Amino acid sequence: MLDLVIRNGLIVDGSGLPGRHGDLAIKGGKVVAVGGRAGDAARVLDATGRIVAPGFIDPHTHYDAQLCFDPYAFPAIEHGVTTVVPGNCSLSLAPLRIDQRDAFSRMFRLIEEMPEAAFDAGVDWRWGEGFGAWLDALAENIALNVAPLVGHSVLRMYVMGAEAQARAATADEIRAMADLLRVCLEAGAIGLSTSFVDIDESYRPVPSRWAAPAELDALSAVLGERDAVLQIVHEFYDTELTIARVEQLAELSLRHGITTTLSPLFHSDANHKGVARVMAAVEAARARGAAVWPQVQTRPIDISFTLDQRSLMLLTMPSWWKVASLRDHAEKIAAVAAGRQALVDEMNSLARRPNGGLGAGGFVVRDVVHARNNDLIGRSIDDIARERGATHGDTVVDLALDEDLGTWFIRESIGHNNSAVVGELLAHPYVHVGASDGGAHVGSFSTFGDTGFLFSEFVRGTKSLTLEAAVKKITLDPATIWGIKGRGLLAAGNAADVVVFDAEHIGRGPEIASDDFPGDGVRWIRRQEGVDTVVVNGEITWSADDGYVEGARAGQIATRP
Amino acid sequence: MTARQYVFPQEGDSLDSLAARELPEVEGAAQQLLSWNLHLAARRATGLLPSDIVFTEPPAAR
Repeated sequence: MLDLVIRNGLIVDGSGLPGRHGDLAIKGGKVVAVGGRAGDAARVLDATGRIVAPGFIDPHTHYDAQLCFDPYAFPAIEHGVTTVVPGNCSLSLAPLRIDQRDAFSRMFRLIEEMPEAAFDAGVDWRWGEGFGAWLDALAENIALNVAPLVGHSVLRMYVMGAEAQARAATADEIRAMADLLRVCLEAGAIGLSTSFVDIDESYRPVPSRWAAPAELDALSAVLGERDAVLQIVHEFYDTELTIARVEQLAELSLRHGITTTLSPLFHSDANHKGVARVMAAVEAARARGAAVWPQVQTRPIDISFTLDQRSLMLLTMPSWWKVASLRDHAEKIAAVAAGRQALVDEMNSLARRPNGGLGAGGFVVRDVVHARNNDLIGRSIDDIARERGATHGDTVVDLALDEDLGTWFIRESIGHNNSAVVGELLAHPYVHVGASDGGAHVGSFSTFGDTGFLFSEFVRGTKSLTLEAAVKKITLDPATIWGIKGRGLLAAGNAADVVVFDAEHIGRGPEIASDDFPGDGVRWIRRQEGVDTVVVNGEITWSADDGYVEGARAGQIATRP
Repeated sequence: MTARQYVFPQEGDSLDSLAARELPEVEGAAQQLLSWNLHLAARRATGLLPSDIVFTEPPAAR
């Protein structure tokens, strides 16, 4: 008797080959037969008219914190995601000494835009210090699979303490980091992540940026011992630097036989040749035999924000950043009132910068606090300012002060929004789908639904990819690139991670506000569209009919036997 | 496609010492170098980081 049979669907197995109709048979958490007619089962799902595919793999996430209090990584699973890679961009929750938790937390909360209240309420550090202990704690309570990276900044902190953000490492310290990396890989890390761009809450470069090339080389040698992955977040805003990082990765890949990946790679119409030049560098690296994989996200860049909390948008306005960093709400409002003209001037100066497209005139009122301002929702600041005969900055500040800084603004389609070009990029054989940032930037944009958007925009819309190619991009490709063994392909003996969806209706859903995180505050999410059922290691974990299955905890540490 | 010629800082490097080493015959080498590396000019207060890419030739005309 089988545990589960999914009957009569179009099986798109992740290989990229054309789909075929048939049954999928599951027993003991594994796929036992693909295609044909399966026998009796304890449970049977009818997938007539639906696609049956491997569960989607999201290789660029920051669910580290969320997974501590939310075993479902809500709402990732309902979009079909069954495996996630946390620990990107040099930051993982372990290994970390107890007295380093505060410093790390401030760094993580800032860089990944995780509200302080949510982080502090949700991350209980119950595992202590070690990477393996963290994975042990996670494994007890996860509904989807986790293939974690260990963060380079964290390794440095563990070995060097406060000096991690002050200097290059000594030879002894590099050896200690290499030994610690071996321990983490042995415990289940899938690779190492590093950052060349991030800063902490004091504008200091994160520890990984203080590493000399020899340090990264030594750590890459350890990755090579285990065929593990190196992920970097590079200077993605600068084409020349990105090309140089591609060459650096190519050298590391060739020297140590490792797979490397850089994220994100964005298209911008303002720099329309930039992506082509980067891809030419990637192709040159490939021609030498190097494994350098750019990650490209599917969604365009939209950023929502208030003037009440720090956000990516306020990074371009240091005075506003300082105001938003104040802890007391009344103090913030007083600071805006007291420094009003300088703050208005700073906002107005945005339009005069090289990236003037980010000017306040392009802000759109997304949501308001007071009903008397309802008629402003959906209108641009430029439009409202013209009507009022005011500057853009004055218009934003007047409205925000009227609402105690609670007004939500959105800057839509900042970049990566030319679907024809992005579609061509996504279809490139040396590109894989990533950079969702799942679990991060919760107040700036939704990191959920990128997989649905791949189908709605680039399979049904631009037709840049076939259905089978799109499925492969988010299943077998990331499984192969990231070394996630036994997943990403529907084949006998592989893990029974499965998503059943409607190819004509799968999408990302509208972006909506949610207050489900611990503590106060709003995050932006998207609920699934067109997904029927999600199976993790043979267990139905979510379905359109029943929602999240209470108590479903079939998730595994994907790197452990 | 190859990157513009670049180097990483050596231990203890400042922009001046790196410029003197990489562009020994160029007058005002540090300022010249800075003009080719606007990412460094934008955050001069931090100084050079060991992981920084420092371009040692100007950008190509496009």
